Order: sequence, then structure tokens, then C-alpha cells
Amino acid sequence: MNHFWRLLWKETRELLRPRYLLPILLIPVMFIGLGQGIGGIDDAAAGQPDIGILNEDDGEYGELVNASLSQNAAVVYYAESGDPSATIEAVSEAGGDTLIVIPDGFTERIQQRAAGNIGIHSVVRSLSLSGITSSTQIKRQVDQAGTALTLNVTGTTPAMLNPIRPEYTTYLEDKTLENTSPGALSGSFATQFIFIPVVIMFVIIFSGQMVINSMGAEKENKTLETLLTMPVKRSTIVAAKLIGSASIGLLGAALYTVSIYYYQSSFTDGAASAALSLGIVDYAIVGVSLFLSLVGVLALALVLGIFAGDRQGAQMLLFPISILAIVPMFATMFTDVAKLSLPIRAILLAIPFTHPAIAPKRLLLNDTTMVVGGIMYEAIFAIVMIWLAIRVFNSDRLVTGSSGRVGQWLSRLQQ
Amino acid sequence: MSPTAVQVTDLQKRYDDVQALRSVSFSVDPGEIFGLVGPNGAGKTTTLRTLSTLLTVGGGEVSVFGADVESDPNEVRKRIRYLPEDAGSYDNLTGRQYLEFVADFYSDSPQELVEHGIEIADLDERIESKTSEYSKGMTRKLLLASTIMTEPDLAILDEPTSGLDVENARTIREIVKEFPGQDRSVLLSSHNMLEVEYLCDRIGLLNEGEIVAEGTPPELIDQYDAENLEEAFLEAVA
Repeated sequence: MNHFWRLLWKETRELLRPRYLLPILLIPVMFIGLGQGIGGIDDAAAGQPDIGILNEDDGEYGELVNASLSQNAAVVYYAESGDPSATIEAVSEAGGDTLIVIPDGFTERIQQRAAGNIGIHSVVRSLSLSGITSSTQIKRQVDQAGTALTLNVTGTTPAMLNPIRPEYTTYLEDKTLENTSPGALSGSFATQFIFIPVVIMFVIIFSGQMVINSMGAEKENKTLETLLTMPVKRSTIVAAKLIGSASIGLLGAALYTVSIYYYQSSFTDGAASAALSLGIVDYAIVGVSLFLSLVGVLALALVLGIFAGDRQGAQMLLFPISILAIVPMFATMFTDVAKLSLPIRAILLAIPFTHPAIAPKRLLLNDTTMVVGGIMYEAIFAIVMIWLAIRVFNSDRLVTGSSGRVGQWLSRLQQ
Repeated sequence: MSPTAVQVTDLQKRYDDVQALRSVSFSVDPGEIFGLVGPNGAGKTTTLRTLSTLLTVGGGEVSVFGADVESDPNEVRKRIRYLPEDAGSYDNLTGRQYLEFVADFYSDSPQELVEHGIEIADLDERIESKTSEYSKGMTRKLLLASTIMTEPDLAILDEPTSGLDVENARTIREIVKEFPGQDRSVLLSSHNMLEVEYLCDRIGLLNEGEIVAEGTPPELIDQYDAENLEEAFLEAVA
């Protein structure tokens, strides 16, 4: 095994320890759990509710409502007379949560062209999201019964109930999207791309955390000086730390991507709008942008990690990187960077991690100039950071650490 | 083999406003144990770190077996092993795994080195325990074993027995004493005058960044008309 692989193995082994790995695994598990929970609620909302019906009306419209409800819901209890408060107990015992009461005189009111009241008695078993599901289901059943009633009473057709059919044409930059409303466009974009800045933020923070942890552990274990006097080039040590950290960072990011996708797919049917899809080349460009971002953040974190006193101090030094990752994430999630005022846009574009976050949206709008410019900027940033890391690794600062103004400032940050 | 293991000429070093080394000059011959002795802040560790390629040379010239530490640091690193005063090992490795990790850098068939290291460390079955479970003495023995198992041409030991109990300190001293051969040298620093007198062939007395006296222990005692090395040291730095 050559020196690089030996060092890479050491780094990976260190970073795969539970103390580093468990926090990475915890959040994807949480996202998957949330996705499953919400997916379960959605499934429940789509299913038939268990209801009871107390039909005190002896007219045709009471019967029509009863027929509509019986067709679209599972009727676990039916009666034509009784006290609602007593009847709801019977419904509950039969496994239902809701009693629909069609009162006596309902048909007469409809015949007089007045609205007829329907009593809805519900048992709330727990105060949770499932309560929302239950309400949504019952409202849908009642609305469907109302539609059936309207069609029957007025003799109209379903089309006449919604006589205006809007045909949307939406213009986005130089694209014309037929049969797509602005709302649908935004919804489709959000579904497909909103998680990308979040994933990029995770990649940046986790990778940075890994390399800073690696340096913090060397300091805490007091192994750095021994390592640096081994017959290995400093650039090899730097490369092993960067690649080892990047591997674990990417593993964490992959887990996050899957879990966030899983979480998001619980809200949608997963169908992407064809008008807003990226091609393979586009994804490759986003990948290059993300890779350069990753290299840049790792080298920056390595430089910061040199000033870490121990593992706890290393966590504090992650703070500036976290800020640099979170700001572009929010900016790209809630705004269009290209439409911001010049000073704010300049500040955002100066942050190298903004570029992979905005790349999908810019590519979608065929704005390749901004993306290519961003990639060049990221490449320069990454090269400068690697140069700085190697330079610092070859300097006294690695051993003396806190010397110099920057070192003293970073030492104070860790206190 | 170069006739000189270490050649330091007019070494200077400054940290911001502090002049750590003013002018340090000494040499170490092959097969010799050379001790740097001095009070805290005298510049011992700075000198050893410079020789180990950890610190840049502020001024002067430093070479190890003819290789300049500034222009040819990788060649220097191949010839030396450095044991810092406050060193540790990777706490997720066992003692054996740590020796294997180090040995891998120095040999294509590292197992022989590892077995030699295990013999030197003399930790019995605890060599299979995680180093996070080691006492300070055990850790020091492991690190010293990892330092000399590779049989470096020059072992640089910064306070090798610092903070150890009498028994462990004695064990370490015996290991160091037996290490040099015809081509192997040791450069160490210590506060312990008895230890230095016992171990070192020659000594450099370092004070305020300068070598104020150099010679064998008997020569220094004679030079300052002292009864022992401690007195000679106090006279030298007075």
C-alpha cells in the first residue's frame, strides 16, 4: 500500500467512527420517518372514511344524499331515528369516527330552493395530523353529495357546474409554456429543484465538518507532529485528508439526497413537468459545479482546521462555513438571484457555494453564461484554497497554530 | 554515511515579537547521544522541531546527514524519527495497529518492524488494547517503540521521560541508551540532569536561544569547576 492509500485509509477509518457517523445518519432517518408518516396520512386521506348515517328525512333528497355517501364511504352504521349524541357512540363502537345526520325536513328545504343542513358529528381520537385527514375526507364526501343533489335538482350537466375552462399560457424568460399556469409552474419547479440547494448545503457542511474534525482529532490526539515528520510529502497528507473527508461527506450527502427525495415524494405524485426538466448534460454541469464547490470547501475547512485546538474547537470553526452554505441555500430557495439588486447579487455570487445552488435554475432558463462563469470562479477559488492549504501545511502555523492575528482571532472563537 | 549526523550552524528563529533562537550551533556525530539541556523557554523544542522539519529555519543552516532541512525536507524525514514531548497516538487504534500504521511507512515488509516494536514496548497483551485505554507510561513506551523500531539514523526525542514515574522513566532510559549503533544517533532534550549525565555522550547547554556551553558531562563539570552537571548548568546560565 503506498503512502497516500495508507493515509486515506487512516482518515476514512477515523471519520467512520460512530461519533462522526451517527449524526449524519440520524437526520436521513428522521426525513424518511417523516416521509413515511406523511405518506401514511396521504394514503388515509385518499381512502374511504368509515362513517355512520342517521337519515331522519323520509324524502327523495335525503335518500339521494344517503346514496351518494354510501357509494363513496364505508357506512358502518345506519339508522333512521335516534339521538345523535347516543348514535355517535354506536358509530364509534362500530369503528367509525363520523356520524352524518340528515335531519327531518331536509327534502322540503331543498324543494323550497333553500340550503339544507347536514349535521356532522365527529369523534376526535387524537390531536394530530390524522385529524386533518379525517376532516378532509368527510368534507369531500359532503361536497360530492352536494354536487349530486345540484345535478338532480337543477337538471344541469357537470360541465355547467364549471362552465369556464381556463387555458393557460405562461411565459418564462424565452420559454413559452402551454397549458401551464404560473402556480403550476412554480409548484413543478419547487417539486423538482427546491431540494437541490438543501442537498448542496448538506454536502458543504458535512464535508467541511469531516475535514475540520480530522484536524481537530489530530490536535486532540497530539498525533499531528508525528504524522508530519513521517517520510511523506505534505501535499500527500493534504490530499489524503481532502479525499477521505470528501468521500464521507459525499456519502452523507447521498443519504440526505435520498431521504429528502423520499420526504418530498410523499407530498407529490412524483410527476415532473416536461417543460422544467434538465438534460443529462445539464446535470453533468451541475455536478462539475458541485464538485468544485466541494473541493473548495474542503481546502478552506482544512485551513481553518489547522487552527482547531481540539474537536470541540473544530466544531466552532465550522460556523463560518455553515453561514456561507446556508445563505445561498435560502437565497436560491426563496428568490431568483439574477433578479436581486446588484450589491446583494454581488455578495451572493462572491460566495462560491451559491453557484451550484443556482446552476439548475439558470440552466433551465438557458442562462449558461452565469453558470460557466460560476464554474470558472469556483475553480479559481478551489485552486487558491488548495494552494493555501499546502502553503499552510508547509509553514510553522501547523505547529504553532495560534500565532499571528488570524490565528489569535480563531483561537478566541473557540473559547 | 555522512561523517556528521546533525550540523546546526547559527540557527535563529523568531515567533512574532519573541526571538526564540538567537544563534544555535552544534553538531552530532553518528553513534552519539547528544543532549540539549536548558530551562523552559530556552529553545530546546524549537531546535528539535526545526531539525524534524516541523518548523522553518529563521536563519542559519541546518542539515541532517548532509540533507538541508529547508531544501530537502523529504530526505531528512526518511532518516529521522521524532518523538515530541507531548505526543499521543490515534485513540481508535490498538497498540499493535498503531505500530503497523507507522511501520508501513518505513518498510515493504513491516511485520518485522512491528514485532520489534512490540518487543520494545513490552506491553504484553495490552498491545491489543485501544491506545485510548493506555496510561501515560504505556503510551510513552508505545510511542518510543514506534520511534525506534524503524531503526532511524537519527532519533530525535523531546523530553523522552517527562511526566513518567520512576519505573517507566528508567525503562525508557534503558531503551534509549541501547539504541545507538555505529550509524545511529540520538538527539534528545531533557530537564533531568541525572538522566542527561547517564544517557548523553555530549551535551549542549542551551539558554535564551543560545548554546552557552558544549562538551561531555565530565568536560562541562570540569569547565565550571562544579561538583555535578546541575551545578555546571547553573554556573553556565548564571
